[in-house]
Amino acid sequence: MDELIGDDGAPRPVAAALMQLIDSLGTETLVERQQVAELDILTMGITFTVYSDGQNIDRAWPFDIIPRVIPGDEWDRVTAGLAQRLRALNMFIDDLYNDQRVIADGVFPPDLLEASVNFRPQCRGVHPKHGVWAHISGSDLVRDDDGVMYVLEDNLRVPSGVSYVLENRAVAKRAFAELFARQQIRPVDGYTHELKKLLISLAPDGISDPQLAVLTPGIYNSAYFEHSFLAQRMGAELVEGADLVVESDDCVYMRTIAGLERVHVVYRRIDDLFLDPEVFRPDSTLGVAGLMRAWKAGNVGLANAPGAGVADDKVVYAWVPDLIRYYLGEDQLIPNVPTYRTMYPDERQFVIDNIGDLVVKPANESGGYGIVIGDRASREQLDGVLAAIEADPRNWVAQPILSLSTVPTLVPCDGHGFEVEPRHVDLRPFVLTGAGSYVTPGGLTRVALPKGSLVVNSSQGGGSKDTWVIDGVFDDGYR
Amino acid sequence: MALLARVAERLYWAARYIERAEDTSRIIRAYHDLVVDFPGTVMLRWEPLAAIAGSSIAVDPTIDASGEMTVLRFLIADRRNAGSVASCVAAARENLRTTREVIPREAWQVVNSLSHAVDSSAESAVGRQSRDRFLSRVVDDSRRLDGILDSTMTRANPYRLFRLGRLIERADMTTRVLGVRAAALLQLQAAGVEPLSDEVQWMGVLRSVSALQMYQRATKAPITGEAVVRYLLFYASFPRSVQSCLDEVRSALVALPSPQDVLAVLDETQEALDAAQPLASDGHALDDAMDLLQLAIADLDHAVHARFGVAEH
Repeated sequence: MDELIGDDGAPRPVAAALMQLIDSLGTETLVERQQVAELDILTMGITFTVYSDGQNIDRAWPFDIIPRVIPGDEWDRVTAGLAQRLRALNMFIDDLYNDQRVIADGVFPPDLLEASVNFRPQCRGVHPKHGVWAHISGSDLVRDDDGVMYVLEDNLRVPSGVSYVLENRAVAKRAFAELFARQQIRPVDGYTHELKKLLISLAPDGISDPQLAVLTPGIYNSAYFEHSFLAQRMGAELVEGADLVVESDDCVYMRTIAGLERVHVVYRRIDDLFLDPEVFRPDSTLGVAGLMRAWKAGNVGLANAPGAGVADDKVVYAWVPDLIRYYLGEDQLIPNVPTYRTMYPDERQFVIDNIGDLVVKPANESGGYGIVIGDRASREQLDGVLAAIEADPRNWVAQPILSLSTVPTLVPCDGHGFEVEPRHVDLRPFVLTGAGSYVTPGGLTRVALPKGSLVVNSSQGGGSKDTWVIDGVFDDGYR
Repeated sequence: MALLARVAERLYWAARYIERAEDTSRIIRAYHDLVVDFPGTVMLRWEPLAAIAGSSIAVDPTIDASGEMTVLRFLIADRRNAGSVASCVAAARENLRTTREVIPREAWQVVNSLSHAVDSSAESAVGRQSRDRFLSRVVDDSRRLDGILDSTMTRANPYRLFRLGRLIERADMTTRVLGVRAAALLQLQAAGVEPLSDEVQWMGVLRSVSALQMYQRATKAPITGEAVVRYLLFYASFPRSVQSCLDEVRSALVALPSPQDVLAVLDETQEALDAAQPLASDGHALDDAMDLLQLAIADLDHAVHARFGVAEH
């Protein structure tokens, strides 16, 4: 199905004003606006970094001018569902590192925890503020042919993309100024303010004006643009591991030209295993020796908390409906995609028998790597993934092939010029969880640019769109 | 306001690189002016320009025309030359890309846009046709950057480190512009030609540092080499004079934490400037004096680097 156009070929009510404008502009003017938008992106320096031919290349962020639109009332339900989901997942993480009631009560199998590569025993017994571990998360949503929005996966470690939500909006506002004047499109700019408030709330007790820092792996990291963007927007310091030091008082300091200055909260964009060579990988040069000591002593707030990734796992995903029921006594507000766990013989057999109709995913990869889509893979690829499942059944899950919804997108014609064609999209809203919850209005819409493709990752040729959550009454057309 | 030592170093280098791009552009324009204004039959050669800009290049001395293109490609577009305009703009962009959290967004956008423009047009700017427009864009954008920082950046340590980079590079550049003049004098002497239209050529020197009009207002007497050199070195009220740069370095330093070691070196730089009494009509004397001054400025650079850079930690 298409997000903007109904089955009858007419624009959906929420997209009526947008489609009317696009039709009246004509392709030529639309292409001009697209080119202006691309120039804006170049001038503003909105980039992402790809690793190619042995070096890191700064590339202009790919952006398609035609937005995805979502009615406000639908988004309110999604917001409630995501807030619920992250509340439950955080209670689950906090439980795993403390009492493990969920296991004692027979809800979550203990062998899953034992086999988890993202469980950090070093974090046992820690009580982060608000009982929250995954403060910043991004959940990927897809809409199937049945019109239902499903959660495809949760990213609880260091999800990226939110900077592009804000920058896409800045570009889209210029491209479609007339629509922003006439419609109630929910602003997305508040995110960094909400993030700042959340980080401040993680400061050690008694610190009223905490020093915030964003910890980046460095200037060649693929998400460096975002790390810099967030530091800019929050007035935080952007630090690399070598800028920080933990002294014998178990406090974190940064090296300034005036000497060492205390840091109270670190928004770390480095994976757990590189965070602290004293505790995790001893050869890591990206992290800060002693950071875990400082965190456990309550002298620094860390977001996300180390170990939060234990619930960021395509196997744990399958238990989320149970976890929501267990911790909150509620039914899941946004459904999961049905997920087959190859660790169980009966579900594994189902996957083996139906592999051509399933998407098979490694449990702990991100960025779309390692995914095999049954009806598009060669026999060799399928045999390869079946062998991999046999070898390590816990590391795989399988789901039915969803047909991702589409949004009209400006794409090159075969011969020359451009045309507007439907392309598949997903959506990554970002969720902040602290004392309360905040969900971005909309999120990052990623679009698979080649015809028929379902791969939306920007590292693999995907593009992006602005996402408009529009308030108003749409059943009798636009008003 | 905290300033990480690593960020301090990058800001300082961003400023030095953008100023160097601007100044190299100015030097090329100044030398170009000398070449086209030269009224005699002796062709000025282009290789000394590369030497003055701090680089060395081998050019076949028998082919003057290709010499111009070779030297200018090296100075403007060659990315293998770290001192070329294109390399300096790219380095300034990279240093600002990695310090965006401390500089105003518009400031970054100026250098980012300039960098994209340089990427697409540096090669074509080697030829005489579009050279001046290209070099003017570099100079103008560099000054636009300063305007944005002047009007929108908090006067705190990041601003001061950026200023230090600007001023130290600029002081060095003014000595190099005078070096260009010295080189021309030496060539004329070697050719046994008496410099004609001396006044016109010194006007060109002043114009290359945007100083002609201010010089005319400050100096009632006719333009002479002696007076121009004194003006560009010692006239503290003119912002591109070496004295003015050193004064501004001092005021930036005293506002920074623990500047004593750098201030001590600055005193030595000041002594070197005070001791410079070059004869404007003697190419050797002018060249030697500028060399000494450049060494003193290099010491100042090292001192800033040692105090505020990451090497200290």
